[in-house]
Amino acid sequence: MNAVAFALLATMIAIYVILDGYDLGVGAVVPFVARSGEERAAAMASIGPFWNGNEVWLIAAGGVLFALFPRAYASAFSGFYLPFTVVLWLLMFRGIALELRSHFSSDLWHAFWESAFTGASALLAVLFGVALGNLVRGLPLDAHGYFLGRFAFLLNPYALGVGLFALLALAQHGLAFLALRGEGELAARSARLLSRLWWGVLLLYCLTTLASLALPTGSAAQAPLHLAPVAALSLLALGGVHWFTRLGRPAPAFAASALFLASLVLAAAATMYPYLLPAFPAGSGGIAITDAGPGPGALGVTLALTLPGLAAVVLYALFVVRRMRGRVGSG
Amino acid sequence: MGTAVVADRIQFAFTVMFHYLFPIATIGLAPYIAWFAWRSARGNDEVALRASVFWTKIFAINFAIGVVTGIPMEFAFGANWALFSAKAGAVIGQPLAMEGVYAFFLESVFLGIMLYGRRHVSPRLYAWSATLVGVGSWLSGFFIVATDAWMQHPVGYRIAGDGSIRLANLGALLLSPFAWWQYAHVLMGALLAGSFIVAGVGAYYLLARRDLEDGRRYVRMGVIVALVASALVIFPTGDRNSADVTKYQPVKLAAMEGLFHSTDGAPLAIIGMPDTQRRELIDPVVVPNVLSFLAYGNFTANVKGLTEYADALWPPVALTYYAYHVMVGLGTIFIAIAALAALLLRRRRLMEFRPMLWVLMLAMPFPYIANEAGWVVTEVGRQPWVIYGIMRTSEAASTNVAAGETIFTLIGFAGMYFLLGLLFMLLVLREIGIGPNAASHAAPEIEA
Repeated sequence: MNAVAFALLATMIAIYVILDGYDLGVGAVVPFVARSGEERAAAMASIGPFWNGNEVWLIAAGGVLFALFPRAYASAFSGFYLPFTVVLWLLMFRGIALELRSHFSSDLWHAFWESAFTGASALLAVLFGVALGNLVRGLPLDAHGYFLGRFAFLLNPYALGVGLFALLALAQHGLAFLALRGEGELAARSARLLSRLWWGVLLLYCLTTLASLALPTGSAAQAPLHLAPVAALSLLALGGVHWFTRLGRPAPAFAASALFLASLVLAAAATMYPYLLPAFPAGSGGIAITDAGPGPGALGVTLALTLPGLAAVVLYALFVVRRMRGRVGSG
Repeated sequence: MGTAVVADRIQFAFTVMFHYLFPIATIGLAPYIAWFAWRSARGNDEVALRASVFWTKIFAINFAIGVVTGIPMEFAFGANWALFSAKAGAVIGQPLAMEGVYAFFLESVFLGIMLYGRRHVSPRLYAWSATLVGVGSWLSGFFIVATDAWMQHPVGYRIAGDGSIRLANLGALLLSPFAWWQYAHVLMGALLAGSFIVAGVGAYYLLARRDLEDGRRYVRMGVIVALVASALVIFPTGDRNSADVTKYQPVKLAAMEGLFHSTDGAPLAIIGMPDTQRRELIDPVVVPNVLSFLAYGNFTANVKGLTEYADALWPPVALTYYAYHVMVGLGTIFIAIAALAALLLRRRRLMEFRPMLWVLMLAMPFPYIANEAGWVVTEVGRQPWVIYGIMRTSEAASTNVAAGETIFTLIGFAGMYFLLGLLFMLLVLREIGIGPNAASHAAPEIEA
């Protein structure tokens, strides 16, 4: 039963990464693909109606973590207090930048908020990667499961590598989105940059995977064969991004990029399982799904309430996206 | 109480009070926008069409800042209040998760249609979107109030072997009468604020002799709804809240009223300054016997004073008392303003009677103060408990977050929110300056 709760949480996080991933990615790549003010406006307008709904997946996942695994929720956010507060500030700043940009038709005003948006988006992508890297690597926890280390502990080479990888993977996702929803030169330039950036993503994927296998912690080291099918899926999806981009088919390329991100979340979740917060160094336990878990009753209630709600969300979100479809022009 | 807990409390109070300024406006304006959108979908109503576009812009600015300041709130429980979260998360995480799943998605997805999709959708779908955004904002308020009401008056729970609190009955939590009366009071407070905003902006246009047709409509609707809301906020919703406090939190009631000693036929203090050293109300102006009547429906009933309880169980008396009196005093003034304006409206004199229009325009900020003061009464009055009767605030904060860290982030939040507040004022005043006529002409995506 606790495994179901873990799976629900991982699924919500994967959806969050796929959805907010493309708008973070668009933020990170805007200055590289949009040349004119009109193109930058178009790129930002392409995510305007959606970023807010995408971010709600983070809030909903946070709520579900709170309800299902209160101890892990309490330990994670108090333990990561400062880095997490920085993430919150960046999320706020980024949202404000996107919303405020269009309110004045002044080039200076636009330039400031565009830079703020790009900087905050890129930094968020890196920080999410660093957080994920640390989760996979494990954290020093005290007897009650509270994080003992300091800020510097989180900035280890492995986690920073995952951070860089996350930035490139989300940039790729954002480019795939712009290639799909952008118009004319904006879409073409995005596709071209995507096929170049792809090699970087591939390289960092291989390096990150090798580094994860070398980690003395987690099930990756104990049973690498477990993760072989997930790795195969990642490589297949990554190959698909390149293949469909070269064929000039942005929709399947975007879908392949989404699948790639989902496979990465799956790999991370499978490495951590059965821990929500694995301890560092390896083998010293952590907060597992069983000792932080809800009773079967609470889990049933949460699932019964959450799943129909999420199903409804998916239905009406698809409806809205279909109604709002069409490429965004520079007008 | 350690410095860390004090810093955590200041941070939570500051961030949540700043955040709440924006939901007040979105909850209060949502029904107006839905109404205008339906009016314009039904037929040839240019004013309503312009109004739906104009007020959606104001709404969207409030919504955006409400969202970005709301995100830290959800995670503050885990970050600053880890012990509280670990103990009670299985209960209060539930309504918070439901808020995300049922309310936030609805609001954010359909607001996308309202802001960006006007040319993609029919007027009816636009009106439906406005309605669903409103439903989302009202539902969101419900889940938050239900969470708070559980902390005020815990129901439907059991305490597990490891000391954590488990949810025994979600229905009891969601259907708790305590929660529903609190919710109704909160909603009416926000609707009152929304009405004063609509009427106040309308009054501004009439005073400035511009956008006259729109201004008249806003003043008329705002005043009518304000009259209803200002009455409902006092009776029955405010009255029922007081009754619940009397029943379940008598110490809070005593602090609200500044009643130090148990009294038969207790008086209602209109003015007066509580002195916790001498345990009396300084320079009071009172109405005899009325507190007993309000609390128990009986002019001679005994109302328990603060001295009945150990000092350690008292909430901060002065803050609770003043916040309550500010709220009630303003509530009384609102009903007077709304009634006077409604009378003038009925006599067809309101639109030309500039003194009253000045009053309506200048009254705009005060419902915000009353709403915030109401929350201060509720939350400060709940002390020393974080979960009433179960867990003390002093036992709830994160032990692994130092006071210095919280002070650092508090300073960061203060700087960030100062900037946000300035930007908010800049943008809203600018939209009001542009006005409904220019706004709907300037926006190319509008199809009448």
